[in-house]
Amino acid sequence: MLLVGWEAVFFWMLTLVALFAAVFTVSARNPVHCALFLISTLIAKGALFLLLRAEFVAGAQILVYVGGILVLFLFVLMLVNTRSEVENPFNRQDKVGAFIAALVGLAILGAVTYTQQRGGFFKTKPSADRMAIENAKPDPNAPAGVISADTETLGVTLYTRAVLPFEIASVLLLMAIVGSVLLARDRRQEETYD
Amino acid sequence: MMTFLALAASWAARQASEPSLMERYVQGLKEVDASKFLVLSAIIFSLGMGGVLIRRNIIVIFMSVELMLSAANLNFIAFARYWQTQGGLYAYNGHVMTIFVIVVAAAEAALGLGLLLALYRNRETIAADEINLLKW
Repeated sequence: MLLVGWEAVFFWMLTLVALFAAVFTVSARNPVHCALFLISTLIAKGALFLLLRAEFVAGAQILVYVGGILVLFLFVLMLVNTRSEVENPFNRQDKVGAFIAALVGLAILGAVTYTQQRGGFFKTKPSADRMAIENAKPDPNAPAGVISADTETLGVTLYTRAVLPFEIASVLLLMAIVGSVLLARDRRQEETYD
Repeated sequence: MMTFLALAASWAARQASEPSLMERYVQGLKEVDASKFLVLSAIIFSLGMGGVLIRRNIIVIFMSVELMLSAANLNFIAFARYWQTQGGLYAYNGHVMTIFVIVVAAAEAALGLGLLLALYRNRETIAADEINLLKW
């Protein structure tokens, strides 16, 4: 069991928030509302990462998605005219598209429940010392604010086992910066700089 | 008659010993294991896929793609946490993968929105079904 007690209560609350916000992200008519619901579902998912003891990833999720990507979305929404889409937000193939998406979703859910019924993903027994750590009651006299080792371990893993992908990711980001500057300038600026 | 009574008695005994469906549901609500995270992320992934398929506005299509990417992230973190509780080696590989997915999503959003602005400047529309130059 990953979460019991109050953590389970928080899991269900955050799950409801994430699901409803995801539904409204897809179905809201106004694109600005879509962006705000996307923020809600991403924040709920960040809190779920916290429940899963992934503090650094939760922070990165909030910083990058909510602080960066969503601001970018909102700026672009202000720059383009989306009035005609508000009146008719779905395209002609919406029934077929919804049917295909529901089919794929049901297939994934069926695969998950089937493997769960067979005892698939999660049947290995935890080792004894690990269980001792997991089941240990928190010491009521322990000092507050014990620093989690999550960020440290993640940094060590990132710089030892994943150095090459890390460098490739930095080159990718550089290419994205140059490319988006190149794409977003208008004709007058192009003539000036060429 | 006696066999019927014996069957009924054994049935009642089994009913009493086994937890009912309701009790099992309550147990499932109280104890959250990793498969519930998988179900949540499957639902969110298919919602995002539906958004990609049915929306007209390209910006909202981008948002749905972000939804799908972050559903995959949730899976990675849930498996990493499960592997961590099992005392497995290199449990942080899932976190590393999630960091890379976030990086790629950021690059994709920046480039995609730049493309979209260039498109809007040329075509005066961002409706997906009006951009049909490459349509067969």
